[in-house]
Amino acid sequence: MLGTIVQQFVNGLTVGGIYALIALGYTMVYGVLRLINFAHGDLCIFGAYVGLVVLGSGAGSGHAQLLWLGAAFLVAAVVVAAAGVVLELTAYRPLRRADRLSAVVSALGASLFIENGIMLIWGPQLRVFPSNLLPSMHWTALGARIDLVQVLIIAGSAVLMAVLYWFVHHTRYGTAMRATASDQDAARLMGINVNRVIISVFLIGPAIGAIGGLFIGLYYRQVYFTMGWNYGLSAFIAAIIGGIGNIPGAMLGGVLLGLFNAFAAGFISSSWQEAITFALLIGILLVRPTGLLGERVAEKV
Amino acid sequence: MRPLRQSLLSVLLTAGVMAVGSAAQAATPIKIGVQAPITGQYANEGQGIADAVKLLVKQQNAKGGLLGHPLEVKVCDDQGEAAPAAICARQLVNDGVLAVIGSYTSGAALAAQPIYARANVIQTSDGTSDELTARGYKTFFRNAPPNSAEAIFTAGYFKAAGLNKIAVITDHSSFATGLADAVVADAKKEGIDVLDKAYINAGSQNYTPVLTKLAAMNPQAIYFSGYYTDGGLIKAQMAQLGMKAKFIGGDANQNVAFAKIAGNAAAGAIIINVPAPEDLPYPAAKEFLAQFKAAYGHQPPSIFTLTNADGLRAILYTAEKIKSVDPAKLIPALHELKDFEGLTGTFSWNAVGERTGSPYVAFEVMPGGAYKIIYPPSAAGK
Repeated sequence: MLGTIVQQFVNGLTVGGIYALIALGYTMVYGVLRLINFAHGDLCIFGAYVGLVVLGSGAGSGHAQLLWLGAAFLVAAVVVAAAGVVLELTAYRPLRRADRLSAVVSALGASLFIENGIMLIWGPQLRVFPSNLLPSMHWTALGARIDLVQVLIIAGSAVLMAVLYWFVHHTRYGTAMRATASDQDAARLMGINVNRVIISVFLIGPAIGAIGGLFIGLYYRQVYFTMGWNYGLSAFIAAIIGGIGNIPGAMLGGVLLGLFNAFAAGFISSSWQEAITFALLIGILLVRPTGLLGERVAEKV
Repeated sequence: MRPLRQSLLSVLLTAGVMAVGSAAQAATPIKIGVQAPITGQYANEGQGIADAVKLLVKQQNAKGGLLGHPLEVKVCDDQGEAAPAAICARQLVNDGVLAVIGSYTSGAALAAQPIYARANVIQTSDGTSDELTARGYKTFFRNAPPNSAEAIFTAGYFKAAGLNKIAVITDHSSFATGLADAVVADAKKEGIDVLDKAYINAGSQNYTPVLTKLAAMNPQAIYFSGYYTDGGLIKAQMAQLGMKAKFIGGDANQNVAFAKIAGNAAAGAIIINVPAPEDLPYPAAKEFLAQFKAAYGHQPPSIFTLTNADGLRAILYTAEKIKSVDPAKLIPALHELKDFEGLTGTFSWNAVGERTGSPYVAFEVMPGGAYKIIYPPSAAGK
């Protein structure tokens, strides 16, 4: 029994880490623009495809293999960050002063555009990652097994989130971001270049999301063009659970959602897993309408 | 007057030729009908059935025909649809056929059933709808496994392989849940302990929570009724969790991508499906396929070409055995057909004309992704 509980914890933590990485993109954009970037999930999967191209072009073993893996993460992050900026400049900036609804529709359109773009470039069939990218190693503790790829995902997500937290809370630029999120007009009056802050949000969110997408590719080893929507939806829920707009909230929400899914499927009922997850979401929103670590509204007054 | 004289002349001439002919062959031809979609969306399947029947008839005639009578083929195109199927049935009955092979679709076979039944014409079709044998027509014989056969075969395999404790996983599609429910019911009939039936959301990729739960129950095998994209991942995640249970997948797991998705974990997976014609392990099937290829320059379009060929082969075999082509004797004899060695495996026909003994086989995935047949014993290792 203990083994099963620990194993479910590992299962949940792995996928929760991925959810958290993707959720960060939703929450950062919402924080500064009050906009749900529905194209974010598709951007993350775009990252997985870009990584697959890099990994597919280089075959090797040992140290060379790890080098290619590093290159895949780097290239995926850079390409998807660039795509994020293009998205902001073409789909969102022209609608900055328009209705909130127009921006949402534009986001949905961008999502379809990216999804179908992936299909046109890489085809509608499912693509499979090579199986020998990482050495097949695993550890056993307390009756549970953890694979090298799971360790990589959990540790990688934790490090990325820690760096992002430090950046946002302990650097000058991070302070500017928080100021913009708090009140754009006041931030502008204080001499903060708001547009540059928004661009940086569209650089950082998709770059982290692309790494999450590549983690999905490495872990499950299959990608298909419509999966961005599924992962995007899960990550969006994670962001809401944690309190959308709040960066530590997205991290907490992602990990909690992964764990909750694992324990719901493992100990209650696999057929009711989704229903239980949404019931939890409704429950949290009833008790805390702004999410677990929701933005303290009072701060803005 | 000339036309009349000409026709009189031709009648006389024909009679003369026939008199000479019957002196050599001593009998009138026996007609075999083919009712199949020669045109339309299933045209290649229908043409495959017609080609197979023509080939078998040619071979039979080369051996001296059936009980001394030459065989003759009458083909009617039903386009795989009900209305033309009924027209075909009347036409073939008027042609005086002994038996009809086809049709390919259940719908076309259903529409023709009552017409053949009234005329006492034997009908053998691959239609898989369970309804075909539920209407009580004595003239109907199914030559392919019905939809319910896969689950029965799967439960039989569990028992034969000594898998007494199994867990079942399905996605929410009607196909997969239907198959899973049938497998659970048939496994219980075989006295197998079904520990749990778990659900996954197809495409959600994260199956470790469900698998961890099932692993704690220590099943000997996990049966998955859904599709290869999820099946390959389930096999991979079972290996990741260090599970010792066997993976057994339903027919939708047979796809080249299964082994790619499961990666290093693919080997040892077992998939249950009807084999493709070229994978049929039986020597008679290999010989027939070679003859078919030599005659037509291509492989049969699907296994159903061969099950229809089996329908005709079983009728010819039974007629020769009882030395009669009288439907009143042949039809009861066909209902008692036992352990006929078909191209698609050994089968029998029961009182309602259902094929018992299915062409299903269990494959094991080898390292490298190739398949090896491991069950039933008559097919294994070939």
